[in-house]
Amino acid sequence: MTTAATAAVDLAAPLLAGVLGTAGAGKLFGRRAGTSASRTALARLVRGGHRAARALRGLGALELLLCAALLALPPSAATGGAAIALGAGFLGYLGYARYTAPGSSCGCTAGDDGPVGGRAFARAAVVLVGGVAVTLAGHPWWATAPRQPAATAGAVLAAVAGALVLAPDHRRQPWRTLRLRLTGHPLDGTRAVTRVPVAATVELLERSLAWQRAAPLVRSALLDHWDDGGWRILQYAGVHTGDGAARPVMVLFALDAAAGRDAVREPAVRVSVLDADTGESVAVTA
Amino acid sequence: MAGSRGPAHHDHMACGSTSLWNGEATWFCCGNAWGPCATAGGGACGTCKSSKLQAAWPNASKACWDITRPDLCGEKLPRRGCGSVMKVRHQCSGVSVCVTVSDCGPRTRSFCSESSCCDGTCRTNRVIDLTPAAFSAIGSLSSGILPVVIFE
Amino acid sequence: MSAYRTGSPLDRRRFLTAAALRGATVVGSGVVGATALGAVDAEAAFAAPLRSLDPAAADGSFVEGRITWIDGGLLEVAGSWGEYARVRVTGATSVWKVRAATAAAIETGDGLYARGVPMPDGTLAADAVWVNIVNLHTTVRGIEKTRLHLAHGAHEIVGHVLPDTTSVSYSGAAPTADLSRLRIGQDAQVLGAWRPSDNSVELVRLSVGPGAGHRR
Repeated sequence: MTTAATAAVDLAAPLLAGVLGTAGAGKLFGRRAGTSASRTALARLVRGGHRAARALRGLGALELLLCAALLALPPSAATGGAAIALGAGFLGYLGYARYTAPGSSCGCTAGDDGPVGGRAFARAAVVLVGGVAVTLAGHPWWATAPRQPAATAGAVLAAVAGALVLAPDHRRQPWRTLRLRLTGHPLDGTRAVTRVPVAATVELLERSLAWQRAAPLVRSALLDHWDDGGWRILQYAGVHTGDGAARPVMVLFALDAAAGRDAVREPAVRVSVLDADTGESVAVTA
Repeated sequence: MAGSRGPAHHDHMACGSTSLWNGEATWFCCGNAWGPCATAGGGACGTCKSSKLQAAWPNASKACWDITRPDLCGEKLPRRGCGSVMKVRHQCSGVSVCVTVSDCGPRTRSFCSESSCCDGTCRTNRVIDLTPAAFSAIGSLSSGILPVVIFE
Repeated sequence: MSAYRTGSPLDRRRFLTAAALRGATVVGSGVVGATALGAVDAEAAFAAPLRSLDPAAADGSFVEGRITWIDGGLLEVAGSWGEYARVRVTGATSVWKVRAATAAAIETGDGLYARGVPMPDGTLAADAVWVNIVNLHTTVRGIEKTRLHLAHGAHEIVGHVLPDTTSVSYSGAAPTADLSRLRIGQDAQVLGAWRPSDNSVELVRLSVGPGAGHRR
């Protein structure tokens, strides 16, 4: 192995300790750990939210213990093996969760309630690979770090980048805000869009006098809509009771396609009622 | 929407004729239903179901009030706890529905001074959240928000 | 009425547009006029609210659940509390799935809300069905070109921006296609369509408010 690679392997222990320490502390001390445990796939595995919460806390304690061992003890097959076992266990559990309860969260880090996704698998794989590295390490990290400052700095940078990429959603916030500041608003392109959304036309209609008057005929929600010659036509289905008999009708509203509620206070709405079977105009009298 | 259809009714309902409040109504889902509602549970009262004629009120309890804070928008809504019955009338069409308070909401403070109008008469601030069953009885779910008058 | 009965969808729309434009014009506080072609008595029809007298519509009802089976226009729905319902969708039923759609857009596994009239055979004749519709109170956590990251309770939801559909209402103003005023940290009400395949949401309409303390 090259010197840099050897140094990286030696430095795996504290980096892995960082990963296990944050995840373990979250599980053991997290304020929401108890309530979110019931939403994990673990709750299904151990049959109960309370048991899942206890199991997660126990796992958190184990992770902290391993974290302390990785920091304080020289690298050994025992600590490395423990991390390998933990990583492999995580991968197996995630596979199980994905297979049996796709919508549930993994409980991998406290407060992360999102469903099991690719990043959770990647984090588990990092623990496994870290364990292998600790097993292969030749020197304790506190001996290697001062001797290899450049490699140490590189490893720390790589760890920070990895943490950003693999962090659960609730810890990605500062990164997203920073990126927005640096690159500008990603949706600035929509500023120039002049099209009036259909939602705006429907809102204009539903708040108009025409709607108040015609609403008792209308049964459906918006059935169809289209623009034609500057008009926006909104089509609804309804029932009209004229000569004692109820007949299905189509209620059509025509509005200015470019009008929005902000520009028009009292919209002019054309209202037509057609027989749904024949398409003939229906005389609607109260 | 349509007039005397379904659980919606025109005036003179047993569930209330005394004016209580007015404002905007939105809708929400509850009761372990599909989609993002899967974890919503039975709401603050433990009885909430999307398919029942129910509502969330911002002052269902002190704890609820601390979350919704309608006072920050100038709305000093009275306390109406779980099980309270209200009549909610769509201001534009006059169609109304009777609902039972079963949860806490909406988060009035997030949308202060927002208003919905009907032919010039406006109702300000989100003061009640209806279940899909209740909201769809007086309006379209895809509209999302309605001006309403509330009776008890 | 040939265009209405047998024409192509385009001809049909053209026919309906012409019919719609012949209708009575209702503006502000009253009816201002109707064209001579309309068979509608505008004053009588729209000066006062219409009454719906259909006795068949007296007992409406509502169905909620996941669609387990589709047989033509008949949807079998498993309710979230173990109940079971059959919903009939016809040409007069409005179907919402991200936008105004047809029954062809409905798929097994979709979530559904349906409003309609119970029939003697136990089915619900639907007036309106809304497929996968959600209305969530969220906080904007991340903004990208094609999607938003939204915190909903303890979860984070991915919201997909739909170029021709997504609109935003800022502080109660009319919905606009301009999404450039969205900010991280804003509270946003999200009306959209849930995607059962990946639990994300297609964004249809957002409302963002000015926050607390902004009284009129």
